[in-house]
Amino acid sequence: MTPGLGYRALRSLLMAGLLALGGCAGGQPERGPVTLVFKYARILGNADPLPELLRAFEAAHPGVRVKGEALPWTSDDQHQFYVINLEGRSPGFDVMMLDCIWVPEFARAGWLLDLTTHLRPDELAPFFASTVAAATYGGRVWALPWNFNVGLLYYRADLLAKYGLRPPETYEELVEQVRRIRAGERDPALDGYLWQGKQYEGLVVNVLEAFWANGARLLAEDGAVFPEPARAADALRFLRGLIETGVSPAWTTAADEELSRRAFGDGHAIFLRNWPYAMDLFEAKDSAVRGKVAFAPLPGRARGARGVGSTGGAHLGVSLGSRHPELAVALARHLTSEPAQRAIARGAALSPTRQALYRDPALVRDHPAMPRLEALALAGRPRPVTPYYLLLSATVQPEFSAALVGVKPPERAIADARARLDYFLGAVR
Amino acid sequence: MTRRQAGDRRRALLCVAPTVLALGALTIYPGVWVLWLSLQHRIPIFSVSRFAGLENYAFLAVDSRFWSAAHTTAVFTLGSVALEVTLGVTAALAIHTVRRGRRLALSLLLLAWAMPAVVAAKLFEWLYHPAAGLINVALGRYSINWLGDPAAALPAVILADVWRTMPFVAILCYARLLAIPADVYEAAQVDGAGRLATLTRITLPLLGRILLLAALFRTLDALRAFDIMFVLTGGGPAGTTETLTVYAYRALFQTLQLGFGSALSVVVFLLVMAVAWAYLKILRTGAVAA
Repeated sequence: MTPGLGYRALRSLLMAGLLALGGCAGGQPERGPVTLVFKYARILGNADPLPELLRAFEAAHPGVRVKGEALPWTSDDQHQFYVINLEGRSPGFDVMMLDCIWVPEFARAGWLLDLTTHLRPDELAPFFASTVAAATYGGRVWALPWNFNVGLLYYRADLLAKYGLRPPETYEELVEQVRRIRAGERDPALDGYLWQGKQYEGLVVNVLEAFWANGARLLAEDGAVFPEPARAADALRFLRGLIETGVSPAWTTAADEELSRRAFGDGHAIFLRNWPYAMDLFEAKDSAVRGKVAFAPLPGRARGARGVGSTGGAHLGVSLGSRHPELAVALARHLTSEPAQRAIARGAALSPTRQALYRDPALVRDHPAMPRLEALALAGRPRPVTPYYLLLSATVQPEFSAALVGVKPPERAIADARARLDYFLGAVR
Repeated sequence: MTRRQAGDRRRALLCVAPTVLALGALTIYPGVWVLWLSLQHRIPIFSVSRFAGLENYAFLAVDSRFWSAAHTTAVFTLGSVALEVTLGVTAALAIHTVRRGRRLALSLLLLAWAMPAVVAAKLFEWLYHPAAGLINVALGRYSINWLGDPAAALPAVILADVWRTMPFVAILCYARLLAIPADVYEAAQVDGAGRLATLTRITLPLLGRILLLAALFRTLDALRAFDIMFVLTGGGPAGTTETLTVYAYRALFQTLQLGFGSALSVVVFLLVMAVAWAYLKILRTGAVAA
């Protein structure tokens, strides 16, 4: 090899490298197909409707490819995945599925595209107001509501009818009904009221619902924590009482959604607090309680407020680092559109965020309970909408759990949680 | 120093340089950085970054959740290591004594050890299931609220950990037993030593050093235990199974309090170092015969 040839080879190699670098930095106009990356948790159900929805978007936008990428399985892992990738400023995805409790946090962190200016003025009107509230932070909208959850009281309609009872409007009534039905049934394996008392996010949801029924809050508008400490302690004492008196089984303190859903689904309980997804499973062909289950609003307290279910669900946000924000917004809009939500509601056990769909004839035929769900969804209340929600939740979880298992008096659990939150929130505010 | 010695010395320095650099980059630099972080209020996603001095440590000193986690870590470590060593030795002696089924027993032991902690935790989640779990079905009407009772949860977690890691101790011990020459036992027999005397005077003392090593490894692992309780209980109920590492994880990765979480990590680090140092001191003084 002559020196000249070597030099030329080296130069062309260098040039190629420079060209490649230029391409990476996006210095040249985009050529070839655009790829959008959509991060989402796989949807369980008879059929995952998403691949088809993504193909439909591609068909409507020639030259655009959409890659659906699965998120880790648990909510904790998903959050950690987002934080690491978004804080690193190279997200590698355009549209992301967000648990509604993360939206204010991610907005505050500057990771989300402000959708306010991208939306038509009336575009959010068809969505439930509580889902829009959960996507709003600092007066701006940061995500589009995608699917919806609200806490419900499931009950064994057959058992209540047998004893001539109507679904309870207060917890006091519920306790009385459990006593009557268990006294009549004489079945030691029949539990009264199942809910979620394991130390995790679900516990916070259950305790918040008990707070609200008792006129207590976790966070006031002015940012004060536990603005009604005595009422909050009383609500915790009531929940502890459910376990102590055997209305709820001892293992409630280890129960999550699935553990309690299975026990109720096997016919071992009269009442259950859970999300709407459970209804489809109770009505499945091999279900032991098929045709015997109905749902009602969560009970209130005899001398308190009416019962309100906590809302939950997922939103779609657009990463601020997306290189195709307009297309990404279009994708989020497409996936939250009425046809897409109808397809998701039919194919999977997820409830829509658009109110009109709850009266949609095609959906109601498959899910006869949907019109009833609409009223409960309207009354639902979001968990505190704050960027510090995870800090709040992670701090109160062990304290609520301590009050439930009886190792701490409720007043002290609340005082301890408050002291810790004062220190942590003092650092961020 | 002769020229040759100086040359040797240079070459030696050159040879260890990569190691020193790698250690410096991977251990010392992050270590110092964590120490520095622990002296700050730092939550990057909310652009919080200001010097806090020893505030995080002062808060830890009065933080009931921290002391509860420290207590849980201590009980978990002592409980699981003691059980693992006792059961491990017993298993090794049993395998060493029996002739038939030795290979099967070893494979089964290895199977448990080879299982990832998260898988083992999921397995035990089903075993501990309040209604359908194998254990409660066997106990019948005396069934226990394994993961929901503050008195039962930590023992349940320890049990799961012991099941998974006891084989490690057993296999180390078994290897040592194989290395004890047969003539030692023959001599003991000639001297008229009974079975018990052979065990307490010969076998156990000969196992001493390897046991100490196994206990060192297991203790350091147990002090940093995370996955088994994270999956089984998430730290509950009432935080009774929350170890220092789980607490640090929640602060660092869930609530993203890098300053406070780093302070927690520094405490865990000091704890692990102190325990490791104590073990190494025992090993070095040769308090246990090899």
